[in-house]
Amino acid sequence: MATHQEDVPRTVVAADEAGGAHANGGALAAFLGAGIGSLAMGAFVVLNEAGIFAAPSFYGPTGGLSGRSTLAVVVWVVAWIWLHRRWRSRELEARTVYVATLVLAALGLLATLPPVWGLL
Amino acid sequence: MLFSFDSLATMFHGIAAGGMALMGLFAALFWLYATRSAENDDVRPPGAASHQAFAVLMVLVAVALWVTVLGGTYIVFPTYRTPPPEGVVALVDYPRAYLLSDAGTAWLHAFAMESKEHMPWIASMLATSVAFVATRERRRLWADRGMRSMTVAVLAVVFGLVSFVALMGVLVNKVAPVQ
Repeated sequence: MATHQEDVPRTVVAADEAGGAHANGGALAAFLGAGIGSLAMGAFVVLNEAGIFAAPSFYGPTGGLSGRSTLAVVVWVVAWIWLHRRWRSRELEARTVYVATLVLAALGLLATLPPVWGLL
Repeated sequence: MLFSFDSLATMFHGIAAGGMALMGLFAALFWLYATRSAENDDVRPPGAASHQAFAVLMVLVAVALWVTVLGGTYIVFPTYRTPPPEGVVALVDYPRAYLLSDAGTAWLHAFAMESKEHMPWIASMLATSVAFVATRERRRLWADRGMRSMTVAVLAVVFGLVSFVALMGVLVNKVAPVQ
């Protein structure tokens, strides 16, 4: 029967060999959660500009920005909590997560640039 | 009154909160550089008090960024984007409309302000992740080369973002100040 641990790629290193009191999973969850939140921010911008999904305006004077940013923050927090609960006790392969975080953040940032979503 | 509430709020947003965040980011990056591996340089590795101080710095940076972005989004931006009433010709009190009324200044809204709307949120999320790691992994951050490198990379991205956004804000407010 597949265990919870088997579907998460990792290289197990003893936590005390790594020089810290915790496994690195909690830190990796924080980084990757921020990457996911960044991508979500960019995605909501692109979806709005493409006319596919306009986030509701939660605060009238701010307009749609209040909706896009709130939804992006919700995605970030949910992703972070979910990843933290799965990874907090685990020592994981960090490099893959670092690269994924930076790529997601870069994509999210690109998507917020007017010349990029102006192409739509 | 010499300064309106909106003007003061804009100054607090950009100079106080945003400025504090920028200074903190620079300090954090310099700290990580100055305390790089003692194996390669004659630098004494930081102790527990230094780890804690760095964590405090990062928490303050993250808080400053969130204050900046929330204040900007919910206090300054509404004033900026307020549409002029019907029939109003003098648009100087309506920054967004003022910028868009002239082809020479329209880019300050279409590019500068549009960029400022969303990028700071990403910067705040990334900075918060670093603050969490600095707080939770105080010892490991200084022992784990990969984690340090990632922290430097993320902070460099955040610093670049905040610097860019701050510059855009200076340009917008110079031409179409929130009064």
